[in-house]
Amino acid sequence: MNPYWGATLTSFFPLFFHRMLDLLTGKLAWTDLASDEIQVLVFALISIGAALIGTLLILKRMAMLANALSHTILVGIVIAYLLVGGVGGLSLNLGVVLIASVLCALLTTLLTQVIHRVLKLQEDASIGLVFTTLFALGIVLVTLLTRNAHIGLEVVMGNADALHVNDLKIALWVAGGNLLFVLLLYKEWKLTCFDSGFAKSLGFSPSAFTYLLMLLTSATAITAFRAVGVLLFLTFLVGLPLTGRLLTQSLGKMLLWASGIGLFVSLFTVALSRHLLTVYQMPLSTAGLASCLIGVCFLLAVLARGVLSLTFTKKPG
Amino acid sequence: MGEVNSPAIEIKNLTVHYGKTPVLWEINCSIPRGILLGILGPNGAGKSTLLKTLLGQLKPIGGETLFFGEKLREKKKKIAYVPQRSSVDWDFPINVENVVLMGRYQKLGMLKWPKKADRQAVHAVLDRVGMLPFARRQISQLSGGQQQRVFIARALLQEADIYLMDEPFAGVDIATEKALIALFAELKKEGKTLCIVHHDLMTVRSYFDWILLLNSCLIDFGPVEEVFHEENLKRAYGSSAYLFTETKKLAQARSTGDE
Amino acid sequence: MLEFFTDPVLRAPTLGTMLMCFGAGLIGCLAFLQKRSLVGEALSHAAYPGVVLSILVSSLLFPFSEKGAALSILIGALLTSSLGLIVIHQMEKRLKISSDAALCFVLSLFFGVGVLFASRLQIIQPLWFQQIQLFLFGQAATMVDGHIILYGALALFVVAAILFLFRYLEILYFDRGFAKALGMRVGPIDLLTYFLLVVAVIVGMRSVGVVLMSAMLIAPPAAARQWTNRFGPFLALSSFFGLLSGFLGNLLSIYVPRWVGEPHLSLATGPMIVLVASSLCVASLLFSTQRGYCTRMARIAAFRLETASENLLKALYKKREGKKSWWLLKWLEWKGLVENSALTDLGVQEAEKLIRLHRLWEVYLVHMGQGVERVHASAEEMEHILTPEIEQELQALLDYPTVDPHEQPIPGGAR
Repeated sequence: MNPYWGATLTSFFPLFFHRMLDLLTGKLAWTDLASDEIQVLVFALISIGAALIGTLLILKRMAMLANALSHTILVGIVIAYLLVGGVGGLSLNLGVVLIASVLCALLTTLLTQVIHRVLKLQEDASIGLVFTTLFALGIVLVTLLTRNAHIGLEVVMGNADALHVNDLKIALWVAGGNLLFVLLLYKEWKLTCFDSGFAKSLGFSPSAFTYLLMLLTSATAITAFRAVGVLLFLTFLVGLPLTGRLLTQSLGKMLLWASGIGLFVSLFTVALSRHLLTVYQMPLSTAGLASCLIGVCFLLAVLARGVLSLTFTKKPG
Repeated sequence: MGEVNSPAIEIKNLTVHYGKTPVLWEINCSIPRGILLGILGPNGAGKSTLLKTLLGQLKPIGGETLFFGEKLREKKKKIAYVPQRSSVDWDFPINVENVVLMGRYQKLGMLKWPKKADRQAVHAVLDRVGMLPFARRQISQLSGGQQQRVFIARALLQEADIYLMDEPFAGVDIATEKALIALFAELKKEGKTLCIVHHDLMTVRSYFDWILLLNSCLIDFGPVEEVFHEENLKRAYGSSAYLFTETKKLAQARSTGDE
Repeated sequence: MLEFFTDPVLRAPTLGTMLMCFGAGLIGCLAFLQKRSLVGEALSHAAYPGVVLSILVSSLLFPFSEKGAALSILIGALLTSSLGLIVIHQMEKRLKISSDAALCFVLSLFFGVGVLFASRLQIIQPLWFQQIQLFLFGQAATMVDGHIILYGALALFVVAAILFLFRYLEILYFDRGFAKALGMRVGPIDLLTYFLLVVAVIVGMRSVGVVLMSAMLIAPPAAARQWTNRFGPFLALSSFFGLLSGFLGNLLSIYVPRWVGEPHLSLATGPMIVLVASSLCVASLLFSTQRGYCTRMARIAAFRLETASENLLKALYKKREGKKSWWLLKWLEWKGLVENSALTDLGVQEAEKLIRLHRLWEVYLVHMGQGVERVHASAEEMEHILTPEIEQELQALLDYPTVDPHEQPIPGGAR
């Protein structure tokens, strides 16, 4: 019996914090976590990862490459599903999915580089060409292999309600990995993103960091796809850092704001979703709700900045 | 071990290719210590390429370079690089202090955090370039001249013996240019060697001791009174140089299969 | 094959998608030239909430009208897509956010809004929810003759607009500053082209779906660009490639299942169209007569062949000993430069020309300041590259030298 059944916004938060306290003090077992709680925790962990690597991605202007990755990872996941057995969104062999997705990420990046540098096509067109072709190829393969022309929408949209304690463990590992890589190499990230020429002269390799970032992105995307689907993961990845950027000029504070807003959005989304279900009998997509909330936060940040600073500089021309 | 009196930089038969086309052809020169060297040449002459090759970022087809008589690997920490200002994203969320601090990263290595002593060093260096009041300022709010000073400060923090700078005076106000030249003179007095890619022929005589005239091949090299004259400039910038650039382009087209 | 145009079931999808790809290929050129090919991706995702919301609204207002629904879907998609465009523009100009971040944000956020409302729709109007799937993945097979008319009209509109604006667009995309200096009304033209882009995206979503729509805006122009440098032919070729992809995509979606032995398998047309377009693009990148990769490789090989045969010619002239490549000799014979392993008059002329160029270049390099010992290597290379025009200029510049830096005579040098 889900303890959140019938909860509203006002009753959700106290109950949640009370149970979290129990969890930390050991009175509540991990396996007894309610689905709402798992959702909050998984979303929170995704947010932290997304905030960290999303910031690096937009500083390196690789946001659309991340978009491309998220599409091809989709195909990799589906094919991995088929190879391992049965499209159903049920328990997945994480090892297979992880490898398939990392391979897709590498394939996408590599092909894009080849088409851009060897075949000399401009970069935006190279990105667009590669990921749409791979995506189309994936759909065709899936149709031929499953004799079925419809791919599960779940992979695109995610299904937060089906989240399981296993997903929580995976999310924990990935968020931990993101934290580790970003914080340990913090000054190296700053250096290679800001001034790659100078970085090289000191002996660092900016391209190695780019590949590392791609790998971290695909790993985080996999954790996210079950909860929010690969496309809405991008709202976390790009929306959280952009909101943080509006609120501060310092890189460190930007990361903190982005993560903080992400945590808030995670908690509030699930609470709101439960509230709407209880009070209005409206079951809505939790992923969509989270995405919209991030949009709202962004809008608020824009207004806040507009109010605080008097100059909204327009680019000339 | 290099000799005590070995030149700052020794370049022997250096040839660098872009694909199959030579960008630098058989460069030979011996740059003595404690001078201000101006590197001049028309567009595409290979000036930035020379700097990057010296730093080991580009691999030459042939030839070698020695720093104080030793290979780059041994002396890397003694060489500071100031890249072109345009190569950087000035909207990056970072302040002046932290940019300069990057000059310490090589010494710190990976995984170590900067300490208080490092920050004090940063302040000292910022003071030297006249940017101490701006330490906490966002770099997007700086003018061209101020940005350049920050870059120079970062190089100073590296406490190097050789400074390689790519067009430090491009897009910079007069006051900054004068301040920087004064600073470079001080560094020269301290025995440092400064090699600067420069674009303004008007100021060459007053700024530099020696010059290196480049147009893919070495046109001339030596003290400014001996080398900076009309005939050499004609060779470097004149119609014969233009012909040179054209043939270079043709050679490049042949090697990449373009029409 | 004709049945694709006549059969009542096949002709609507075929003609409809052909027309839609035609329009997309045309409009995509403009985004391509601005290096903003990925805008289509953002716009197609931004159209999604419009589709959902309009279905929600029309299902409440007109519960049983399908035609009404189709129309309101178009309007809804147009509205949110245009809104997406405005947001992207404002983010870039006012908030100074880099364009890739702006595109990615709008893409995912708008899609999220769509997902949110779709989840509601799924409950209250499950049948209508199915309609939305058509837009996500495209469902060309269910198109009817009415669609042909609609797409035809829209394609015509796009073509007319571009023809009308042709001269302006040509100048605008070549040199924006110049266009403004001429007093051209850059703002309204930009607006119109963006509007056309939105229309093309909305129209195309029905055939290939949200995700693959951007492919039709990118692949045909990218392919066409490899074949021409002129604006008019670029537009024409791109739309042709679009048209071709549309047709072949439909063809393959029927034939491929037959080839793999499953004639009743329904293969979505959208992905097939995209695969055809991408193949055309890659083929163009590889084989186009001007810039194709394989063409370039062939030119390099040809140049190497020429160089090797010229070196052999020189060796024969100087009566050098050593093994001579049999087939290079045959090549020289075929060109009339060699006969019975000896040089013909023409051959002698050619060889002397090479030597002249070599020594002339050496003089030039010394003139430029290179040491005499070093000029030989460079001259070895350049003798194969110097053209008669450059030779003329060198001769004039160096005042028709008669000896090279090694005191060797320059054949045919003095004038």
